[in-house]
Amino acid sequence: MKTLIKISWRNIWRNRTRTLVIIIALVLGLMGAIFSASVRMASEQQQFEDTVENQISHIQIHHPEFIANPEAYYRIPRGKNISNEINARDDVIRAAPRTVLDGMAASANMNEGIRIKGVEPEAEAKTPGLDELIEEGSYFTEESRLPSILIGERLAEKLNAEVGSRLVLTFQDIEGEIVSSSFRVEGLYSVTSRGFEERMAFVRASEINYLIGDAEAVTEIAVLLDDHDKYRDVAGELEKAYPDMKVRHWADLDPTLFYALEVLDQVLILLVAIIIMGVSFGLLNTILMSILERVRELGILMAVGMKKARVFSMIVMESAMVSLIGGAVGLIFSFAMVRILNIYGVHVPGGEGLEDFGYASVIYPQIDTAFYFQSGMVVIIFAILASIYPAWKAIRLQPAEAVRQE
Amino acid sequence: METVIKTNNLSKVYTDTAVPVHALRSVSLEFRQGEFTAIVGPSGSGKTTFLNVVGGLDKPTEGHVIIDGVDIATMKESKLFDFRLRHIGFVFQAYNLIPVLTAIENVSFIMLLQNRPKAEMEERAKQMLEQVGLSDKLNVRPAKLSGGQQQRVAVARALASKPDFVLADEPTANLDTESAFNLLDIMAKLNKEENITLIFSTHDQRVIERARRVITLVDGAVDKDETFNREN
Repeated sequence: MKTLIKISWRNIWRNRTRTLVIIIALVLGLMGAIFSASVRMASEQQQFEDTVENQISHIQIHHPEFIANPEAYYRIPRGKNISNEINARDDVIRAAPRTVLDGMAASANMNEGIRIKGVEPEAEAKTPGLDELIEEGSYFTEESRLPSILIGERLAEKLNAEVGSRLVLTFQDIEGEIVSSSFRVEGLYSVTSRGFEERMAFVRASEINYLIGDAEAVTEIAVLLDDHDKYRDVAGELEKAYPDMKVRHWADLDPTLFYALEVLDQVLILLVAIIIMGVSFGLLNTILMSILERVRELGILMAVGMKKARVFSMIVMESAMVSLIGGAVGLIFSFAMVRILNIYGVHVPGGEGLEDFGYASVIYPQIDTAFYFQSGMVVIIFAILASIYPAWKAIRLQPAEAVRQE
Repeated sequence: METVIKTNNLSKVYTDTAVPVHALRSVSLEFRQGEFTAIVGPSGSGKTTFLNVVGGLDKPTEGHVIIDGVDIATMKESKLFDFRLRHIGFVFQAYNLIPVLTAIENVSFIMLLQNRPKAEMEERAKQMLEQVGLSDKLNVRPAKLSGGQQQRVAVARALASKPDFVLADEPTANLDTESAFNLLDIMAKLNKEENITLIFSTHDQRVIERARRVITLVDGAVDKDETFNREN
């Protein structure tokens, strides 16, 4: 075995240029594959964080009727108590009680339909929190004559409003009566999702509750978890604890995102596989060439008694060694590349348009460590597959004929 | 003296050619322990075919090759690999050696395939290279050796594992006169010292004169089988 490894190793360096070309092809192939995978993964991850952490949370609880009719009438009974109970759980970062209503925002010269989210500023500020999204102005710190409202930068643009502008909100109270009240824009926030930024406006729950006529009103409890992966378990437990309420987790709330993330790993490894498969054909060609050049030599090896299994393993081993070098170097380079790009970011051309779909225009590539391992495995597996045909060709040689070849 | 190889009515017909070629016609020969035999004859007389069939590299169309009481003509291929490894040494016309291995690694190679102990292997390989006069080239790769030196390494490799007999197919064909004589001297010396049966094919008159037994093949059949009393 040791000799077989020694012979294989020396064999691959007989044609240094050829071996180096294949190694470089493997390195570049891996880097290309991992680059695209890391960009994809980062953009999905960013979208997940943006959607789940900043927008919908892991779990939302509503009155069952509220989903079809988001009105103040469908409140969560004992909402604040429930919220406190959930907050007491160890696996919960925050459970934020909210008063969510559909309404209309009017500036001096524009009208826009919005969703008003009455929030408890402290509850929403727990990391990752709403306060971190403020781009301009402040986060519920000002005490002014008018109640504060935080709106998205895009909504501000549409309403022709800025920090300090006065907006009139119109909505229904708990009895279904139309109520109007003035708010002052205290801050502008920004998220990548255009839809969210154009529609969601945040006010203090105490103020909106006063206006709708129920100081204790809660129409939504948004729960953010410690561990992303536990959302199903926790949602199930909450469903049992509060059977009269509708408990939904993020995968229910945004099935498209859930599905995209679910298949992401497979899609990415497939991407690597396709690229590496292309490189493997180059490898196959090279090994085949190296066999044709060595017909006589292989014949002599078999003539003197080297078993076909050993000749076969020798050729597979040669390919495995080349792929091991190419794979290792490729992974090291890819790792460095992803690290560096993660710091500097990749600017996506035409990225502005992507933001409408919730993707950021600057991406900070990242990839799971396991993915490097998987990609490395793909390289070795394909390299071994590529060597099987040439190795089979080699052992089909008849020693008597092979040694006669000049 | 003990019979090492016995061929019985050995025939080989190549049918993959336009006209069937009778490379061997009923060749019945016996080789005894320690013999130093040259198989001679013009090109196409069946020398190489005979050696290939006796060496288990090729199957006869008819007849038997009995080695150690076993008929290798009917042996399965997988067994034949092992048989060749344990019982037969080979020297080919040229490019015998594994180019990526040094002289001593090449000489050890067969013993290595036989799983001999490392110490024994090294000692024997060194001893053999010394016997063929290459003790200063132990760690040199074939590309750095002359044609004659390469063939001497090949002879050392073939004999190192102490096979029952050694087959050499035109070992001197690519060598100049001096190297050819030199190689033959070494082969003759080892034949005596190690008492190993040596059969080689050649059409080189200079070389034929060194053999103690000369078998002449013509059109695949034995034409003459002469024994000479030579001291080499």
